Amino acid sequence: MESNRIIQDGSPSKDLQTPGTPNLSKDSDNNKVSESITQETTDNGKHKRVSGKVLFGSIVFLALASLIAFFLYLVPALQEIPSGSKSPVTNSAELKKDAAYKKQISQLKRDVQRLSGKYSRYTSGQSYLVINTTDNLFYLYRNKKLIREGHCSSGSYKMLKTEEGRSWIFKTPKGKFWIQGKTTHPSWRRPDWAYVEEGLPIPSQDDQSRYEYGILGDYAMALGDGYLIHGTIYKRFLGMPVTHGCVRLNDEDLEAIFNTLSIGSKVYIF
Amino acid sequence: MNMETESINKSRIGKNVIIPVILLLAFLIYYTIMAMLSPVKKKDAITKEYSFIQDEKNIIDEQIFADSTYLKLLKEKSFLQSRIAMAETDSIYLTINLSDSIVSLEISGVAVHTSRVKRSDISKILKSGNEYIISSMLARPFTIEKNYSSIPKEPLMIKMAPKDTSEYQPDIIPDTADYEPVNFIMQIENGFHIFIYQDEKLNFGDGIHRLIFDMLNRFRDTFHSLKSVVTFRIPENHPYIKVRLPRTDAKIIYRALPEHGQIAVYL
Repeated sequence: MESNRIIQDGSPSKDLQTPGTPNLSKDSDNNKVSESITQETTDNGKHKRVSGKVLFGSIVFLALASLIAFFLYLVPALQEIPSGSKSPVTNSAELKKDAAYKKQISQLKRDVQRLSGKYSRYTSGQSYLVINTTDNLFYLYRNKKLIREGHCSSGSYKMLKTEEGRSWIFKTPKGKFWIQGKTTHPSWRRPDWAYVEEGLPIPSQDDQSRYEYGILGDYAMALGDGYLIHGTIYKRFLGMPVTHGCVRLNDEDLEAIFNTLSIGSKVYIF
Repeated sequence: MNMETESINKSRIGKNVIIPVILLLAFLIYYTIMAMLSPVKKKDAITKEYSFIQDEKNIIDEQIFADSTYLKLLKEKSFLQSRIAMAETDSIYLTINLSDSIVSLEISGVAVHTSRVKRSDISKILKSGNEYIISSMLARPFTIEKNYSSIPKEPLMIKMAPKDTSEYQPDIIPDTADYEPVNFIMQIENGFHIFIYQDEKLNFGDGIHRLIFDMLNRFRDTFHSLKSVVTFRIPENHPYIKVRLPRTDAKIIYRALPEHGQIAVYL
């Protein structure tokens, strides 16, 4: 009890210096007051400690935030402050009269014309097909004009793996291709992955069961390395990346493209 | 006595706080100076590489390199030269024409996809540098060295083959409602950085995502700068071209460009 009466600064309370005081109620009152002062002082101390910690934490947080802002934003912004004047661009009439200037300008004009002509010749006047594999769309051009566009299906980006370590990635190749062959009523020779994918045993290479008819639509155009542009029986998947690398089209679009493109026509896939 | 101890303690605390603060401030000043020197160093390097070298047999009046007509033609020539160099390959490449606010994906000279630039910004070096030198630099295509992106280049999904027909499950139709914000940074071999960020805020977190993506890049740059500065070297400056595009176009461009694709720029 006595220890409770010790006020925080370490000096004993006045009550302790006058023991045996007859007035008990006064003593009890004093004790209460003293206890409440002690409590208050302890609370104040705690409060101060907490606020101190909060303040310290805030200062540390602000300092760190300022440091991060300094390194990430302030210094790069300072690097971008324009220094000095921009190198001047002139339009001097006197210079324009100079023969050497005229020679330089005409040479440059010729160069631009030549390069421009060369560049425009890259775009073929013949028909070509553009395939967008991200959005699964196609664009058919003739004489540099868009004549047909629509949905297609391209590679699914699935990687099929076997426990034996074989793997296949089903993606449509990107870049410049050309039509290497055209066929009507194509048949499909199922490759190994078509069996592996379904958990079927792989037949021999010349097995008749590998051949399927009617699932590639009425036409097919070969792009090389086994990749084809063909039709599909899964029309609801058009516009989605679901194929094993070939490009699938609906019947009408396939027919239009088949009739527009000839062997050697360019196909741009991106 | 107590007062004395207290004041000694206070001065100790003061020293313990003040000295590190002074050291930190000194480092920050040193870092700032080194960082400010970095664009100067980069500009000098570009100037040294691409400035005009006078041919003694055919002396040209250097006033022409500040002439507006000459510079306009030179810019066009450089852009064409750069595009032709890329068109000679079969690869997919990108052209950024900030003058017309157009970004195009091209294959062998054929523009296969075009997008309109919503917003753009370029570095001080490109904005206020010598136009002759900048045009000469842009006559060669930029080659991508590294990509940082919020989406994968190839969204590969791995599927284990079933052991037999009982394990076979037909493919699930891909979820076309999948949404990921598209932001990417292409680090060019010459130290330039090309930022392509999605312009729209289609979903709630898009703005925050872009901020975090941008901040991570700033962290990377700062880390490299700090590494240089502590070894008393001027950090490398990365002049930038920042472009905002519609999300679908940004995605198409990122997916179409090869890992080390090429870019032609017209300012």
